[in-house]
This record gives sequence, C-alpha cells and structure tokens, in this order.
Amino acid sequence: MEDKEILEKFSQPESQNLAFNQLVRKYQQKIYWHIRKMVIDHDDADDLTQEVFVKVWKNLGNFRQDAQLYTWIYRIATNECLTFLSNKKKRFFLPIHDVASELAEKIDTSPDISGDEIQLKLQKALLRLPDKQRLVFNMKYYDEMKYEEISEILGTSVGALKTSYHLAVKKIEEFIKRD
Amino acid sequence: MNRMKEDFKLDNLPKHNIYQVPEQYFDRLPMRVMERTAGAERQVPAWQQSLWAPLRTAIAPLVLLLVFVGAFIVTLQQQKQDEQYALQPLAEEEILDYLSYNEDLETADFAELSSMSKQDFTEDFLNISSVAAEEELEYYHIRHIQE
Repeated sequence: MEDKEILEKFSQPESQNLAFNQLVRKYQQKIYWHIRKMVIDHDDADDLTQEVFVKVWKNLGNFRQDAQLYTWIYRIATNECLTFLSNKKKRFFLPIHDVASELAEKIDTSPDISGDEIQLKLQKALLRLPDKQRLVFNMKYYDEMKYEEISEILGTSVGALKTSYHLAVKKIEEFIKRD
Repeated sequence: MNRMKEDFKLDNLPKHNIYQVPEQYFDRLPMRVMERTAGAERQVPAWQQSLWAPLRTAIAPLVLLLVFVGAFIVTLQQQKQDEQYALQPLAEEEILDYLSYNEDLETADFAELSSMSKQDFTEDFLNISSVAAEEELEYYHIRHIQE
C-alpha cells in the first residue's frame, strides 16, 4: 500500500486501525534495524521500535504531507535512539567510552549476534564513533540512503554529512588496521 | 588475517547483518504495537488545536450576547402585550353597557341615590324597574325621618 493511501485511510475512523497496521508492517523492519544497529541489544531495540510506532500513532494526525512519511518516521526513530543513548550515559554517570565498551561487550556475548571476526570488529569500530556520526554511517552504508534524505532526517547539510561519512570510514579503517 | 587488516578497505568488505531477531518477531510486532496503541490517546491535530483556542474565546461573548438579545426580545414582547391590554381604547358606550349588565347594585348604592334624587337617571342606567326604585326610595326616606 502506498503512503498516500495509508494516510488517506488513516484519516477515516472506520479504516484507521487497518491503515496503521499496514504502516507498521511496511516500516517495522527498516525502523527496527535502524534502531538495533544503534542500541545493539534486541530488547532495547524492541522497546524503542514499539515506542516509535506509538508516537507515530499519536502524531500521525499532525503529519504534514510536505515531508515523506518514511523520512518522518525515521526522524522519530533517530530521536528515540539519541535520547535513549544519552539517558544511558547520564544514568550510569559513564563517559561515552564506557557506554561503547558496554555495547561492545554485548557484541561478544549476546546469543543473537553472530558473524565472522572482521564483521564483529567493524561493529566494535562503529561504537567508537560519536552517536550522530554512527547514525550517518549506518544510514549511508547499510540503509543506502541518499545524502538528501539523511539531511532531511537529521537536519544537517549535505556537505556536512559527506564529510562526516568520509571521516567515519577513515576512522573505522584505521581502527581495524590498528587493532 | 594480519595482512587482511593492513589492506583493509571498507568498500571491499561484503555487507553483512550480524544481528538476529527471535523467530517470527516481525510477524508478532504489528499486533504488539496495535495492543499498545489501543490504550494510547491520540493527539488532536495541531490545526484543530490552533482553531479551537480562538474559537473558544470568540464563542463565550457570543453566547452572552445571544442571552441578552433573547432576554430583550422577550421583555419587549411582554411590554407590547401589556400595552395592548392597558391602552385598548374602549368606547364610552361599551363601558356603560358592561356596567349595566354586570354591576349588581346594592342597597347602599340606592342610599346614595336618595341624595341624588333630583337628578334625572334613566331606567336603563339603574337597571331596575321604576316601581322597585320607588319602593327603595320610599324605604330609605322613611328611615331617614325616623332617625
């Protein structure tokens, strides 16, 4: 179902639930993986994904159709991730390095994470990046989004995003070579 | 492995997702989300909110104005009705007719008449027969003498 059709049906009370169900089915995987790569843990990603869709449900009536629906949902998911990670740092009075270490440990020990050594190393290298740079890298490298789309989600200029991505690639390559 | 690390280029690495989800996770997720949204209140769209605030301010004095106008109209109608009854012009003849048919004369009225005996009253005005009038007058005249 096209976004326009989903929004049209959502605006009618009798087809609202059906339309929203379609919306969740359409975007759940993209949103879940976007969150999971940021928070690493499945349970956290599960909670946040549900939270994102509850927020979408609550605010879809306010959605202005001058933006694309998936960009808007991505923005909500991104904000949820950043807030979650920020709270995690505050809660444990830990500097960013220690949160990164905690998440890196999950990569080594979690039963629902598996891959060859270089893939695991890549994920650990990613955790060394600042959260926003990690977001940019994930959206460009894994989700293969255009810079313009990332720009709309993060509210950052395309030029700044390009610089951020290339710097991230450099840092990751250096980390893997050095380690 | 070490050589691979030294030559490492991200572009040469195949993209691979190392994370897994529990079985049928994505089949169940929409249902779980729907369960949560069932209890969640939806926000009133912003345009409705922005419209309601000034509308509410505008409606209050309008309602007050309507109450005043309504009360004024009701009072005006009541006043008109009163005037209609109070100022309805009645012909003198109609008043006399009304009195002649509805006024019951008492004996005290005839007492007054004795002092007005020289005046000429028509039978129509008194609404009694001339014989009865004569008798009444005579009675009062006798009592006056006895006293």
